Amino acid sequence: MIHIQRLNKTFKLFHRPADRLKEAITGRTRHESYHALQDITFEVAPGEVLGVLGRNGAGKSTLLKLLNGVLIPDSGDIQIDGRITGLLELGTGFNTELTGEQNITANGLMLGMSRDEIDAKREAIKAFSELGAYIDEPLRTYSSGMTMRLAFSIAIHAEPRCFLVDEALSVGDGYFQQKCMKRIREFKASGGSILFVSHDLNAVKMLCDRALVLEAGRVAFDGDADDAVNHYNRIMARQAEEEEGRQQQRHQGAYGSQAVSVVDGWLAGEKSQSTMLSSGENLHIALKLQAREALDAITVGILIRDRFGQDIFGTNSYQLGQAVSISPGETRYVHVQLKADIAPGKYTVTVGLHSQEHHLEDCYWWHDSYLQFEVAGFQHQIFSGVCRLPMTISTPDTLPPMPRDSLAPGHAETASQRQETP
Amino acid sequence: MSIYQRLPGYTWLRTQPRARAVWQSLPLILHLTRQDLIERHTGSLLGGAWTFVSPLVNILVFVLVFSSIMGAKLEGFGAEIDQYAYSIYLICGMLAWIAFSNSLGRVTRLFKEHGHLVTKINVSLLSLPLSVLLTETVVYVIGMGFFAGFLLLVDFPLSGYWLLIPLVYLLQCVFVYALGLTLAILAVYLKDIQEVVSVVLQVWFWVTPIVYVLEILPGWVQWGMQFNPAFVLVDAYRSLIMRQQLPDFLPITLFALLAFGLLALGLWLLNRTERDLRDCL
Repeated sequence: MIHIQRLNKTFKLFHRPADRLKEAITGRTRHESYHALQDITFEVAPGEVLGVLGRNGAGKSTLLKLLNGVLIPDSGDIQIDGRITGLLELGTGFNTELTGEQNITANGLMLGMSRDEIDAKREAIKAFSELGAYIDEPLRTYSSGMTMRLAFSIAIHAEPRCFLVDEALSVGDGYFQQKCMKRIREFKASGGSILFVSHDLNAVKMLCDRALVLEAGRVAFDGDADDAVNHYNRIMARQAEEEEGRQQQRHQGAYGSQAVSVVDGWLAGEKSQSTMLSSGENLHIALKLQAREALDAITVGILIRDRFGQDIFGTNSYQLGQAVSISPGETRYVHVQLKADIAPGKYTVTVGLHSQEHHLEDCYWWHDSYLQFEVAGFQHQIFSGVCRLPMTISTPDTLPPMPRDSLAPGHAETASQRQETP
Repeated sequence: MSIYQRLPGYTWLRTQPRARAVWQSLPLILHLTRQDLIERHTGSLLGGAWTFVSPLVNILVFVLVFSSIMGAKLEGFGAEIDQYAYSIYLICGMLAWIAFSNSLGRVTRLFKEHGHLVTKINVSLLSLPLSVLLTETVVYVIGMGFFAGFLLLVDFPLSGYWLLIPLVYLLQCVFVYALGLTLAILAVYLKDIQEVVSVVLQVWFWVTPIVYVLEILPGWVQWGMQFNPAFVLVDAYRSLIMRQQLPDFLPITLFALLAFGLLALGLWLLNRTERDLRDCL
């Protein structure tokens, strides 16, 4: 149980370090105050996971440090029942010269475990961290992922009642992250309270019962995790709009003959009304076209790429048999609608205007990553992989007859033999 | 119920959050000390034995160099001294001074050096200097052990006054803890403090009659020496070990008052600045 009431924290900013001492002695103010947290009130019940979202500098780290006891609040009340540990990016006080084994002892003591407790848990910690023989090597030889594994193992085995998790979790590889998540769920089921600070919106949606959005040191939203993610996205979108020269950049990023170009465009999920949508939601893309020359049969193409730049899906109006014609000076609107049956993650939309089938002949306008959106969570069923393929499962009484040419599993050998002798 | 729980003031102490935090971090302090003394040497051939090397070398140097070589030279100048008298005089002062200056220097740098702990783990700031004092105490005890062995070897009498040495040493620790804590807090705000302390310690060493005798100083300086905390300490040890008598009452009382006064100052300062201190570490 974590109970926070009217928490305030300001940092004093001094121009010179000596000013700090002068102020302490003379009592005359020589600083500027920075309100890192203002009037924060929330509660994490036993068995609850509370997500914390916020932009960089919104006060997330300060909050964690206050909970951890490393910083002292100006005013307000922090009540934590039982031991609080966590996996924090701010580190765990490891000594890099000592071996993993020695660090288990040191770190355990720092977390308030007794020597007996540490010795009782030692084997479990080692087993969970899966460091093998590396446990006897100095920590400076560890990769960041290995350090994280050890830190998590110690923290979770210290039998805390409250657990803090921040971005540090993302250092681990997929396998270990899964393992941590599983352990965190077990911890939650056993009545522990968890504070989960992350930029991984999908993880927040999956793991958290409730989430806060911090903005400029205040709680801007406190409620259902899905709504919190939407709220957070609206903040992020506003920030993006505030960025100067956004429109300009768009055009600078485009190339082509400019015979016709896209002058404006936006996209949104049908339900979310933002650039953050659930997998399976309808995605609407709107484009405003303006022409310098008369063109009949422009092809409008879009291409969705994932964050690795891999093409996920692309098509154009030529393939769909829908050409657009335009006369000089005319403005036309194009509305694209598609079902975003793709896996959670960040995506970009590349937009192209060209003649005929592809842009290699007459390319009028082409802009890589013209628009962005993010898929988080699933609207209907969960699936794995990059996209959903329409699939049905039935349980008939008899198997449909096998086509003569197809191969049942186990005939793979004959298949390769067949290929060798066509 | 263990013994310390029957001590007067125990219940009161338990209700003090700061005292409780120090109490709870004792296992950690012991561990840090252990790390300092033994685990620092893991991987080396001699291992923990290295902890014994520097006190032993100190004693050997003082004995061999100053009794056999320098002693002979001094006698050549007509000074009438016992063969080992100067070595004993020197070691009494040096061991105490080494413990004093090493711990004071290290405590001053503590919050800066242990920034990786202080900013990441909720560790009691009051308890951290204890691990330094403990480490230096172990080194001091080892040194005194060798020293006692040497005294037995040369048939120098060990008296019951030795039993009072821990008491004087405890006073020394209170003084170093209090002064060190105060300086460590200031050092967070003013980086220069660290440098100032190391320079001052160097000067202090030569101002204090440790390698030379008090009597060679002019009269008024001799009188003023009773206000030099380091000299009061060194002289107290010499009284107990060499002269086999109690230390002068007035200077040691003043020293004790100073030590506890500084302690109050340090605690007050930490109380006032801890929130700010943690922000700027």
